[in-house]
Amino acid sequence: MSNSSTVSSNALIEFRDIHKAFGAKRILQGLSMEVGHKEVFFIIGTSGVGKSVTIKHLIGLLRVDEGEIHFDGRRIDSLSENDFYPVRKRIGMVFQHATLFDSMTLRQNVALPLRKHQGMGTKEALKRADELLERVNMHAFSHSGPATLSDGMKKRAAIARTLAMEPQVVLFDEPTTGLDPVNARRIDRLIRELSDDLGVTSIVVSHDLTSIFSIADRITFIYQGKAYKSGTRQEFEHSDDPIVRQFISGNSHGPMETPGF
Amino acid sequence: MSLGDRIEGLGAAVLRSGRSGIRLALIGAKSLRGVVERDYPKGEVARQMYIVGNKSVLFIAITMGFLGMVMVIQSGHQLNRVTGDLTQLGPQFLKLFIQEFAPTITALMLATRVGAGIAAEVGSMKVTEQIDALRLSGITPTSYLIAPRLVACLVMGIILTIIAIVVAFTAGGISAWSVFGLNPTAFFDSSMVRTYDVVIGLIKALSYSLAIPIISGFCGLEARGGSEGVGTATTSAVIGSSFAVLLLDFLISGIGLTVFGGGV
Repeated sequence: MSNSSTVSSNALIEFRDIHKAFGAKRILQGLSMEVGHKEVFFIIGTSGVGKSVTIKHLIGLLRVDEGEIHFDGRRIDSLSENDFYPVRKRIGMVFQHATLFDSMTLRQNVALPLRKHQGMGTKEALKRADELLERVNMHAFSHSGPATLSDGMKKRAAIARTLAMEPQVVLFDEPTTGLDPVNARRIDRLIRELSDDLGVTSIVVSHDLTSIFSIADRITFIYQGKAYKSGTRQEFEHSDDPIVRQFISGNSHGPMETPGF
Repeated sequence: MSLGDRIEGLGAAVLRSGRSGIRLALIGAKSLRGVVERDYPKGEVARQMYIVGNKSVLFIAITMGFLGMVMVIQSGHQLNRVTGDLTQLGPQFLKLFIQEFAPTITALMLATRVGAGIAAEVGSMKVTEQIDALRLSGITPTSYLIAPRLVACLVMGIILTIIAIVVAFTAGGISAWSVFGLNPTAFFDSSMVRTYDVVIGLIKALSYSLAIPIISGFCGLEARGGSEGVGTATTSAVIGSSFAVLLLDFLISGIGLTVFGGGV
């Protein structure tokens, strides 16, 4: 196992020896990794390896069995549900299925966290929601309900809702899964712009090799519950590790052990 | 399987049930707090009242109408055989319906219709991560989702129970007149109904209306996996709510009889 990383002393987020199991199924078995400021950081690995599970620990949607998570110098894994609210103002998440609320229009969806977290009045929150929808080129649909939109549009609206909190970190759970190539690249560009223009740190869970090798600053490959390899995209592209090579090439034959196959 | 394994399995099941009971109590407490804090969208209670009330009223009216007719005819035949005096048929029927049948049967119907709906809606939101998205938006799911349904069930539970009494009593009176030729003045007599009957009926209706949305919401929030998980949550909500209604009925009736001697 090789592990290289350029981030160490001033990491924004640190996972230290994380263990997580669901019943008898052990998902994370000593995962450690670091994410730096303003990075576009990709977490990659085969399905069911624990990528989404890993990022959900950052916002308290899951709790670690063992290990520590530090965010901006503060340990957060042991916070109570109420104490997690300030963290959730700083770390937003765009879920795999967009998760817009069906009973609301797009602008109401985006305005919701502004009213709840920021305490804005309805009018002010809706005005800000329109601005955010414009930021992701969705202002023409601000009065539409989620049911009338394509998956790509829903993803962009969900990104606008996440940006409403002006988060320091945005977690993306498979943002391009299920999208056509054009919409997938639009989402990639948006993630890159968030980092370059707004200084947002993005942690992206993905299998999409085009995304990974076009916008990632650094990548961690999770295998057998651990961070098997961390490095820049160039380091991954030129890696001669047989397991990493098998994943990148998508070869069904090789040394990688995949449960169920 | 060895005896040790069986004991271990039994212990694990008891622990799981204990943990579920604690989570249910916590969700109940948080939902009630949500009712007090009113941290839900404007108009949501009215929307839920429409779903609980307007969409259940016909279902309940038809069921209670038939039940009222069947009960009066059956009881009338029995009374005719034993005493031949039907003058107590209406007053006793009304007393029984206010105290027992109207709140309990209305609640059982709400448990199937409304309980299943709450569990399916909340369960779908759970498995599609909308509940997580709510939490990230700074919203407590119990306050936002269960509290308005709780208020709606409380209000509509009482109203539907009253409608159930009126429909069953009217249908029973018409049956008594047409089958036994009983004078409506003799049937529509409320002299046997005491404050105790009304209070017990009200306590039952309120308790059931509290239990159904809390148990159904809890089942929805516990949903795991995909559509299968939502189906399981829905079934659990109907079974759990119905069981809670019957258990509460037994407890409230028992306490009423023990403490107040049945109001005599």
